[in-house]
Formats: sequence, structure tokens, C-alpha cells
Amino acid sequence: MSKMKKSLMLLVAAIMVFTLAACSSSSNSGTNNEKGTNNSSTTTSKEGGSNNASGESVELSFWTLGNTNYEDLANQYMKDNPNVVIKIQNTGDQTAHHNNLTTALSAGSGAPDIFQLEIGFMERFLAAQDSFYNLNELGATDVKANFLDWKWAQASSVDGSFQIGLPTDIAPTVAYYRTDLLEKAGLPTDPAEFSALIDTWDKFATVAKQFTDTTGIPFVDSRDLIYNAVRDQAQGQIYFDKETGEFIGNTNPQVKKAYDFTIKGIQEGWVANFALWAADWTQATNDGGFAVLPGPAWMLGNVKSNGPDTSGLWRMAQLPEGSGNWGGSFLSIPKQAKHSEEAYAFIEWMTAQEQQLQTFTVSGLMPSTFALFEAPEFNEFTDEFLGGQASAAEFAKAAERVAPIYYGPLHDQTDSYIKEAIQNVQEKNADPQAEWDTAIEKIENLIKRS
Amino acid sequence: MATAQTSVNTAVPKRRLSERKRDNLFAYLFISPFFVIFGIFGLYPILFTIYLSFFKWDALNPMKYIGLQNYQFVLEDSIFWTSFSNTLLISVMGTIPQLIMALLIAIFLNSAFTKFKQTFRVLFFMPNITSIVAVTLVFSAIYSNNGMGNWLLDVFGLDAVAWNSGWWGVKIAIATMIMWRWTGYNMVIYLSGLQSIPTDLYEAARIDGAGRLQQMVHITLPLLKPFIIFTVMMSTIGSLQLFTEPYVFLGQSGTSSLRSEGITMVNYLYSEAFSNSFFGTAAATAVILLVFTIIFSMINMWASNKLGGDTEG
Repeated sequence: MSKMKKSLMLLVAAIMVFTLAACSSSSNSGTNNEKGTNNSSTTTSKEGGSNNASGESVELSFWTLGNTNYEDLANQYMKDNPNVVIKIQNTGDQTAHHNNLTTALSAGSGAPDIFQLEIGFMERFLAAQDSFYNLNELGATDVKANFLDWKWAQASSVDGSFQIGLPTDIAPTVAYYRTDLLEKAGLPTDPAEFSALIDTWDKFATVAKQFTDTTGIPFVDSRDLIYNAVRDQAQGQIYFDKETGEFIGNTNPQVKKAYDFTIKGIQEGWVANFALWAADWTQATNDGGFAVLPGPAWMLGNVKSNGPDTSGLWRMAQLPEGSGNWGGSFLSIPKQAKHSEEAYAFIEWMTAQEQQLQTFTVSGLMPSTFALFEAPEFNEFTDEFLGGQASAAEFAKAAERVAPIYYGPLHDQTDSYIKEAIQNVQEKNADPQAEWDTAIEKIENLIKRS
Repeated sequence: MATAQTSVNTAVPKRRLSERKRDNLFAYLFISPFFVIFGIFGLYPILFTIYLSFFKWDALNPMKYIGLQNYQFVLEDSIFWTSFSNTLLISVMGTIPQLIMALLIAIFLNSAFTKFKQTFRVLFFMPNITSIVAVTLVFSAIYSNNGMGNWLLDVFGLDAVAWNSGWWGVKIAIATMIMWRWTGYNMVIYLSGLQSIPTDLYEAARIDGAGRLQQMVHITLPLLKPFIIFTVMMSTIGSLQLFTEPYVFLGQSGTSSLRSEGITMVNYLYSEAFSNSFFGTAAATAVILLVFTIIFSMINMWASNKLGGDTEG
């Protein structure tokens, strides 16, 4: 009896150990084995084998990020292509989304067939070309002409031979502004007139100073956004050289221009002392704490939710001297994908004009296929929050003013040291030149480690 | 039956040994889940971190052996030493007032006169089970440039403080978040300590004419010593691992920035690994952090041994 009990316990213990061990083996092989045994028990094993080989049913895993209509599009695609099953896994947290892929790639298994790659994390994965399919080899060169040049270049290697992703949405920057506050200062409120009034950064500064002197209200919402707006208009490169990858932030005239312009605004009092995303910044959007908010297309969503009482008071204008881009995604295929051909067919369909139009109308994401900019469904789209302004057309205009830019893998960290310097000048009255020197020193220290 | 019996008989001399062995085997099997899990999720990462600290690696491309260079980079980086001194300063600023406050609240809740003890106990413990991120966001609103903190200072005619960038401002802001979160937790530990002190000691003291303060100094504090040592140890180890509060509080600006006023050692490690993709230097930082934790734990153990000896003698 006791022997029975003991061997039973041994069995239980053994099962526990083996289930633990099973955790490490991939779930895919588990399901395959199950299928295999099912097949062999009901039909002959030969049939089961031929089923697998013909690839009648292909399962594609797809990791998506944030709010999109990609589930709907995938369902539509599955209806048209009954042999394809798309399994979507959505994540809200950008950093977690991309870190999960990093983990899967370095572990050698677990990556999806299709991955939605956000531009902010592009450099990390572009440096790991061995881990992704070169979409140029899967047929991407044929669709290249459909997309905005600068958007396409963001996902290419510097020489253009390697393409990591097909473009989905874009996020060109514009200037959102409050008509009621501009009226107070006697400034024109019509988008075209206001855009013309601030068509260079020098004019922008003059108008800003004049506005703040008459109303006592800061003109621009925050140091970070005005700095980004000027910085992102750099020609081809910001902090790092696109050919050599060397640090050029200390000599790039556009970086210095952005820094000096922001400092000038702080010293003349027309840049509000709000930290971006802070609670008081949010509040000020509703309360009229500033007149202009330079931001990308998706920022309109934040303005709407931060300023529920200000509907109809906002408009958007073009930024001085050009536009930048902040955000937007790509669809890429990791090397671990088992069905690269089918995955590519799906993402080519996903990023085609018709599907991007659907994404725009359902989720409000700006399309990257410029032919759509002429389409009436897109062009005539108006926004009541912006007083009935034709917003899509305005974004499209901004999108055509964006120049392609190389960022480099350490862009974010480098940028945050410069932002720290600007914050010190604004909040602690620090000396701008000394802060600039300290920031450059920190950046050079950082680069030493790469 | 007969065959079974003979097989048992022949097995007898062998079985004695094998039974003991089998017992041992069972014992090992039953404790194996812990060791298997610990091996996979505890030991292996620790060993791999030490191994990784000698390599240059971005998690995607092949690793490159560079010897002790990672340690050199970290130890020569002034930001690392800032993060080290920040960690110590914030932990002192957050822990010492917090433990004193926890003790006072525990004594207040333990006194016979306090009404609604249960309610208070729950209320004081609540912060500890609230999401740190949510708490930090609320505190960020208080400590923003035009927030409640500066408004209150203005009411009293004081100058506004740069909570987001001031050398002391940031530390005070983070220290108050730690205090708010952990006071209740330590209070509960002290309260259980207070309740374990026999009341006849106080009665005897009162008969001998001891006042409230004398009772506190000569009875309460000495008998609470083991509890105080425990809370100090836990707080020290906890504050060396301080991460979420500064990360959320300072990382709100949309960049991965961790300002030098509030960066802690774990923040430094995290940004090395996950925003810069320098996994080698991050691993080296982890090893250095491990050494520091061992040193601090040893100091704690030495001090508590000494104190513990005192009560016995």
C-alpha cells in the first residue's frame, strides 16, 4: 500500500518537473505534435503529412501597438484569403512592445511573423539587420513609389539596400493655436493668414514676444515642444552623422539654432514654464495658459482630451520654415517568421492606399501613401474641434514639407541631455552656455561607451 | 501470491539501502520545484549577468569580449557616482523621518484612549497597497511647477521651489513619496511589537513612579529593539533598490531622461540597458550594486548583532 502511495507521489512529482520543463519548449511544436497524433489516429499519417506540406492553412502572428483598426482589416483579409489565419496580439505600452521583440530576437524564438515597429525604436532594430527580412528582396521595391520619400527612408539602411518595414501612418508636425487668445492680442486668426505671419522663426519670435507683452500669457506651451519643432527641421541629420555615425550635435547649426531659439523664448518670457505631459500643462490647455502648441498629428488627440471646454477655439497652422515628423509606424517581418511570403503579401495589402484610408477614417491615423492626399474622402475631411477646418488637407500639406532625417541609435539619450540643459536654464536660471557645455560633455561620455 | 512473496523476500537485504535512498530521492523531488524555478529565474540570470558584465552587447548583435572595460566605464562615469550618492541621500531622507513617524503613530494607535483603532490601522496601511505609478502621478501634480506644492509655499509667502530640477527639490519630492508609502507598513510592524510587550511591565513602572516618557525610554524602546532593527534593515535594502518613484516622477517629460538630481543606481542600470542598449555596462552596474548591497547588509548585521548582544547582557 505504502509502496503504491509512494510511486503515485513519485509520478506526481515527476509530472510537476516535466510540466516545468515543458514550459521552455515552444508552444508551436506542442500544437504540431497534437495535430500529428490526431491525424494519425483518425486517418493515415501520409495524409496528415501532405496537409502540412501543401501549406493550405497558414497562421500569421501579428503584434500591434496602440489604438488601430488593424483587427478589422485583418478580419477582412482573412475573409478574402481563407487559407490565412491572423492572430493579433495588441500592446498599449510602446516600450514593453519593443522590449518584448528584443527579448524574442535575442532568445532566438518567440518573435511574431509581423511586427508593428514604431519610429522611436527604429534605430535599435535597423542595427540588427540579420534579425529581419529585407523587404526589398520580398518585393518592396515595387511599392516604394507609393509612399512618401522621407517616410520610406526612415526604415531603410543609409545606402537604401535594406528595407526593414513598410510604412503605415505618419505624424507631421504643425502648430495648433487658440483663436480666442490671438484675438485678444489683435493677431489674425485665419489659418492661412496666421501661417503667413509666422513663416520664419524670426517672425515667429517677434509675434510671440508681441503677444506675450500685450496679453501677459506665454505664447508657446513648453520648451520641449518648441525645441523639437526647430530641431526636426534639420537637414538630413541631427545629432549623428548619417555617413559615419559620429557625433555632430555640437557643430550642427540646426541643433544650436533650436537650442538658442528655445533659450531666447525662455528669456523673453514667451515659453511657458510647463513640463510636457505634466498635470499643470494639461490643465493649461483647457484654461488658456498658452496660445500655441507645436505638435505632430497625433497631438490633436491630446489637445482634444486635455481641453474639453475649448472645442471650436483651436485651429492649426503650418510651422515656420518647414515641418518635422514625430511618430508613426512600420510593419516588419522578423527572420524568425515561418511564412515570410504570406506575411509580406499581408503587409503589402495592409499598407496599400485603400486600407490606409480606412485606418484614417476609423482611427484618425495619417496615411503615408501620398496619392490619398488628393482623394476627396481624405481631402474634404473637416474637424469640428478645429472649427470645421479641413484638417486632413492641412496635415497633408505639412507631410509634404518633411525632409528625411537620420537619427542614430543614441538619439533619445543625447536629446534628453540637451533638454535637461534647457530645463536648468528655465527653472534654475542657469547659464545657457555653461549648460550647453555640460550637456555636450555628458553626451561625449555616453558615446564613449557605445 | 507466492511469486510476489519470494520476490519480496529476495529483495529484503537490497531494499533497506534502496528505501533510504528512495526516501532521499522523494525528499529531493518534493523540494525540487523550488530549486528548478530558482535555478531558471534566479541563479541563471545572476550568473549570466556576471558573465555579461565582461562583454559588449546590445541584445541583438553578437557579444564581444572586452574584459573589465565595462567596470571601468561605470566607475569612471560621474553620473554613476551621482546616482550612488542620490540613492544614499534619498534613502536617509525618506527612511529616518518615516521610521520615527511610524513609531509615533504606532504608539498613538496602541494607547487605550484612541477610538476607531481598526479604521485608522487600515487607513494608514492603505498607501502601501496603492499602485506606485498612480501615487507618483498624483505627487507629480502636487510637485509640478505651478502645482499645489508651490501654491502652498506662495500662501505662506515663500519662494517657489523647482521640484523637477532643484538639487534638494527633487530629493525632497521623492523622499516624501517613499515616506507616504511606507510609514503605514512600518507602523503595523511596530504596532505588533508594542502589543507583544507585557502590560505588567508598565504597571510595575507606574507603581514605581515612572512617567510616560520614562516608560517609553526604559520599557518600550528597549523591548522594541528587534522590531526596529528589522525595519531599518528592510528599509535599507529597499531603498538601495529604489526605482519606480524617480523613474515615473522624472521620466514624465516624454524622453528617457533621468535628471541627475534624482537618478538612483537602479535607474542608472535601467537606462543603460533599456534606453541605451548597453547591456554590458548595465550588467557591470548590477554586479557593483550587488557588492554594495552585500556591504550594507553586512554593516546592518554587524550592528544588529552588537545591539542584540546589548539587550542580552
